[in-house]
Amino acid sequence: MERIQHHPILGKTKFHQPITYTFNGKKLSGYRGEPIAAALLAEGIRVLRRHEESGAARGFYCAIGHCMECRLVVQGQGIVRSCLTPLEPGMIITEGQQLANEITGRKLP
Amino acid sequence: MTSKGEETDLIIVGAGPAGLSAANKAAEYGLRVTVIDEFPEPGGRMLGQFHEESGHWWVGKQIADELIAEAGRRGVRIRCGVSVYGMLKVDDRFEVSTSIGALFAPRVLLATGAAEIPMPVQGWTLPGVMSIGAAQVMANVNFVKPGRRGLIVGINVLAMAIARELSVSGVSLAGIVLPPAGPLAGAAAKPKDNLELLMGLSHLAPSPILRMGSRIARSCNLAGWIANFFPRKGIRMWDIPLQLRTAAVSINGNERVESVTLAQVDAKGEILDGSQWEEPVDFVALAGGLYPLAELASVAGCPFIYTPELGGHLPLHSEQMRTPVEGLYVAGNITGVESALVAMSQGRLAAASIGVDADAIGSGGDRIVAEAMEEVGRTRAAALIQFQPGIAEARRGIYRLWQETIEVGV
Amino acid sequence: MKPPLILICRCEEVSMEQLETAYQSGSCTSRQLKMKTRATMGACQGRVCRRLVEAWLRAQDPHASLDAELLSCRPPIRPVSFGQLARGES
Repeated sequence: MERIQHHPILGKTKFHQPITYTFNGKKLSGYRGEPIAAALLAEGIRVLRRHEESGAARGFYCAIGHCMECRLVVQGQGIVRSCLTPLEPGMIITEGQQLANEITGRKLP
Repeated sequence: MTSKGEETDLIIVGAGPAGLSAANKAAEYGLRVTVIDEFPEPGGRMLGQFHEESGHWWVGKQIADELIAEAGRRGVRIRCGVSVYGMLKVDDRFEVSTSIGALFAPRVLLATGAAEIPMPVQGWTLPGVMSIGAAQVMANVNFVKPGRRGLIVGINVLAMAIARELSVSGVSLAGIVLPPAGPLAGAAAKPKDNLELLMGLSHLAPSPILRMGSRIARSCNLAGWIANFFPRKGIRMWDIPLQLRTAAVSINGNERVESVTLAQVDAKGEILDGSQWEEPVDFVALAGGLYPLAELASVAGCPFIYTPELGGHLPLHSEQMRTPVEGLYVAGNITGVESALVAMSQGRLAAASIGVDADAIGSGGDRIVAEAMEEVGRTRAAALIQFQPGIAEARRGIYRLWQETIEVGV
Repeated sequence: MKPPLILICRCEEVSMEQLETAYQSGSCTSRQLKMKTRATMGACQGRVCRRLVEAWLRAQDPHASLDAELLSCRPPIRPVSFGQLARGES
């Protein structure tokens, strides 16, 4: 999605240091310190996670840390809320994944 | 539990308008203050708020910047990106559990603000469906447009204010429509109730609604009036079609929002047969309003009261912002949903009460508290944005309950 | 028109239909609905859907209790790792 480079009311926006990182193995770009969810949105990525049980695609919902929908995996940090976690250069990010269920016997595809 | 960890005079949870205002005032009284917030930058929801006010723009970010600069001058510690996951009172002080370890203080102010009430529509878990506040944060705080073209579901103060902001930020909106009728939406799905609500928003409503207002005033049958006269395509507010006779039926797409099925509804919100169509959009913002985010007050053992005018369950508190838990205070939207200006004055009032209780103010304390209380009242009376009717009356009810139970010592 | 499938609890994927079934089988407070269906018990701990469960229940029974204790909050109220918990207790 489009970045707002100059906001009509809030003025010049804060994109300073361009960096690269990977999401699901794909190299992408963003700006240091912006929330991971915002960087991914700017790259057109909506699916941040698969529901642990059903595997349904999920994206960010509240963007301020309340809903937990945007959680994904950052190598070295584990599962994080991508709306609150600042992007760092070289981050290795993967979408939140569907899990196997030993009680129902469901295995992963 | 041991006493390891940072100790201070006052811990404030939430670096929004209430928390920062309280921090600055408390520091002015000589208290050592630490403010914690889990968002990466301080300012709370003010960061993305702006609205037009008699010819100039009220910009929340500017006010936040001023408060943050003052906090710096006064030596307030602001720790962002830190989550509070619990709190416990041990002897005469609170242990606040955070993602960076335990913090200790004899007094804690909860200024955790509000959270959003969802407005569910079939398909609302698809990526690209977000709360309206999320659209605001993405566009105005993170400066990434939430999508190419979006639709807002739910007509209320929050929806109208953010729709205006999105429009100014250059985000394309297909319209603002009603939620589907049913047990979740209740009156929010009824055109009549929505029109009545909009009539109460004269400050936000541009001329078309005001012009209609006089015609409506002459009509005793409001529901019938909408069914007969409200334009089928809606009216335009700041170039956004406000569609009081259109409801969202479902959100559609494969792994992301591709369209919303819309339908014409009658005055009661019931779908008219054969009136459905698909509107191509790539994001949907759901607007159900706000409620006080008070989990920490609950964890700390504070009793709650249910006050619909202020957003629902909220911690019992006095007009001076004290709670029944000694040393625990509240300010801002956790005490009921109101504007940022009211939250700021509540923060200053809470700081005055804390200053008195901590013996930091000296002899003039009671007068300072009384003045701060008056200032809250004045700010409330002058507030441009009233989220619900009857706020002042509801507040008086809470303070009366406090006097009848806590002060009497029931 | 067939009734739409509306999820109430996003985290645990609990639908309005499931609330209906639980209510019919005797779960008639918000707490009982929670225990029966897991609505409000997921990762967001009811921050998103608590109000929906209460609104839905009120629509069935206008006298249903809205006591805050019914859907209480318990720590940890934010995600915390075992490492963080361990450091907090040390």
